[in-house]
Order: sequence, then structure tokens, then C-alpha cells
Amino acid sequence: MQLLDWLFKVPNGTAAVTAKDRMRTMLVHDRLELPAGKLEVLEEELTAVVARYFDLEPDTTRFDLQQMDRKAALIANFRLVRSKC
Amino acid sequence: MSGRVIVITSGKGGVGKTTASANIGVALANTGASVCLVDMDIGLRNLDILMGLENRVVYNLVDVVEERCKLRQALVKDKRMPNLNLLPAAQTRDKTAVDADQMKKLCEELKSMFDFVLIDSPAGIESGFQNAIAGAEEAIVITTPEMSAVRDADRIIGLLEARKDEITQYRLVLNRLRPKMVANADMMGVDDVLEILSIKLLGVVPEDEDIIISTNKGEPVSGTDNTRSGLAFRNIARRLRGEEVPFMDLEAKNDTWVTKIVNFFNPVRV
Ligand SMILES: Nc1ncnc2c1ncn2[C@@H]1O[C@H](COP(=O)(O)OP(=O)(O)OP(=O)(O)O)[C@@H](O)[C@H]1O
Ligand SMILES: [Mg+2]
Repeated sequence: MQLLDWLFKVPNGTAAVTAKDRMRTMLVHDRLELPAGKLEVLEEELTAVVARYFDLEPDTTRFDLQQMDRKAALIANFRLVRSKC
Repeated sequence: MSGRVIVITSGKGGVGKTTASANIGVALANTGASVCLVDMDIGLRNLDILMGLENRVVYNLVDVVEERCKLRQALVKDKRMPNLNLLPAAQTRDKTAVDADQMKKLCEELKSMFDFVLIDSPAGIESGFQNAIAGAEEAIVITTPEMSAVRDADRIIGLLEARKDEITQYRLVLNRLRPKMVANADMMGVDDVLEILSIKLLGVVPEDEDIIISTNKGEPVSGTDNTRSGLAFRNIARRLRGEEVPFMDLEAKNDTWVTKIVNFFNPVRV
């Protein structure tokens, strides 16, 4: 089974996989014309807003900019402990 | 007659626009269609060399636009096929010698004369590119599987999308694919590039020394049998004509048994 995996799946960490991952990130930024660093600022601000309403589990917030066809999606994931309201 | 005006473009330089223009032109003409190749790389004339027609150029595209000659006088008929014509670029002028409106007018006239008008675009995204796409209704985006070329192709696709009303369809030609390196996961393959660019595939052309040989002879490889790149370009021409041509397996030369098995399940296609 492991042999089959090795044969049919392109292993992670190859030049092809690295190139593809780098391209994905690069093109999402290119297409949005997003200056470097802006996304980080947005993430901080978003987190601050959500944190006004909820206690957040520390260090679990995740932001992911994904390619969907030729559009981009920003997926944010907050782990909520309880409402502050 | 109202022919199709198709621009061949890439963003990055040197990825194979002129090679593809010449070869697709020859392959289309071989199917019986009347074809005009237009060299829009003004100042860097190349297409005449690839076609082996460099000694027969008298007038050029700028002469036509500036009305120093009739369009018919500037067209160079191919020595092999009378239904294949070249409108050469000017060598001693620059990209500002024509504008978008003049290009549109020229394309209108050409498409009343030919089934296919293929425009070889210059590299870049500036005025030369803008003029080259001005009269086009379809585009072929060409790239190699290298990151910088793919990034530039993406930029081009974005610009083409912004002109959806004029350019109604565009498809990708992936050039200089090295099947062995793809099989070894040393470089991106067809599916990787298609997924990243979200674009329809028109064809895959392998890296092939025959291209260099045929360029030196002035005889595009699609006009000769027994070359893998020639077959790839002929398939592209047939797909342009609306035929459903299956993407063929393109096995690496000097395969090891491992790459052979990987190839069997992840075939590289032209
Ligand atoms: N599939 C291939 N296999 C091997 N060599 C190739 C292939 N395609 C193109 N080449 C070579 O790559 C070089 C560049 O090709 P070409 O001139 O067609 O590119 P281009 O995009 O028109 O360049 P430019 O941007 O300068 O106009 C040429 O030397 C050509 O012979
Ligand atoms: Mg060229």
C-alpha cells in the first residue's frame, strides 16, 4: 500500500509541489492587487472586532486566502469560548 | 467571408509566441483554410524568418497602415501553400507606428479575405500588446510551465477578461513541456498549470529540438511528419477548427520503469 502511495501520489516537498504552492499564493495577491502586509493588518483588525463580542481561544485564529476559479476567498476561522455580551 | 481573428500572446518574452503562430498557421493552411499571419512585433520582426520568407518581404504592415501600398501588395504568399500568407512587421519602426483603431480597421479588412487571421503579439502588456489584441475576437495564451511565465500569463488572462465583450474566448497552449521532469515532479505539469490559471486547454507542445532545426530551415515543424511538436501543433489547429481531438499521451523519452508507471496513471498529453 505504501509502495502504491509512493508511486501514484506526487510527494510533498518536490519542486513541482513547491512551485504550485508558491504560484497559488502569488497569484491570489496579484489578482487582488493586494500590497504586501495589508492582509496582516486586516486580520488584526478583524480579530479585534470579533474579540469585542467573544472570548477567543488563544492562538487558534486562522486566516486563509484561497483561490476559487479566478476569484479569491478569505476564509477566517475563530474559535469562540463564550459570548461577552 | 468573415474569418476569425485570433491573437497569440503571452506576457513574458521568449516563451514561443512566434513559433506557435508560424506552426499553427501552417497547420491550419494544411487543413485547407485560408490563413493570414500578421507579425505585430513591430521593430523586432521574426515571423518571416520562421516561415523562411525573409527574402520575399517588400512592404510591411506599417506601409499598409500609412497607405504607402495596398494591403494585397504587402502580403507575402508562402512558397509551399498559396492559401498561407504573411503580413510582415516593419523592422525599422517601433510599437507606436500603429494605433488600436488602425489595427481594428486592418483586421476587419483581413477577415473579409481569410478564414483565419493569426496575430503574433509582442511580449509585454504595454501599447504593442494592446494594439495586437485590438482587432482580435479570440486569443491563444501561451506559456511554459515555469513560474515567471505562468505569472505573466495570468496577468494577460486578467487583461483579456477585462475585454470580454471583444475577446469572446481564450485558451491556453502550454509550450516546452518536459515530460520526464514532470514525471519526476521536478516541474509543474499540465494539470497544475491549468488549475492555477483556471483556463481551458487548447494544446500542449513538448520541448523539442526539432523546433530549433525547423526554425533554421525556415520550415515550421507542423508541416513535417514524425515530430512530436509538429503533431502537437496540428492537433491545436484541428481543435481551433472545432474538432474534438483527444489529448494524446506524451511519454518521456529514456523512461525508467518508475516514470513509466507514473506516466501510465498520470499521462502527459499533447
Ligand atoms: N517547444 C519548443 N521546444 C524547443 N524550443 C522551443 C520551443 N518553443 C520555442 N522554442 C524556442 O524558444 C525560442 C523563443 O521562441 P519564440 O521566438 O517563438 O518566442 P516568442 O514568445 O515569440 O519570443 P518574443 O517574446 O521575443 O517574441 C526560440 O529559439 C525557439 O526556437
Ligand atoms: Mg516573437
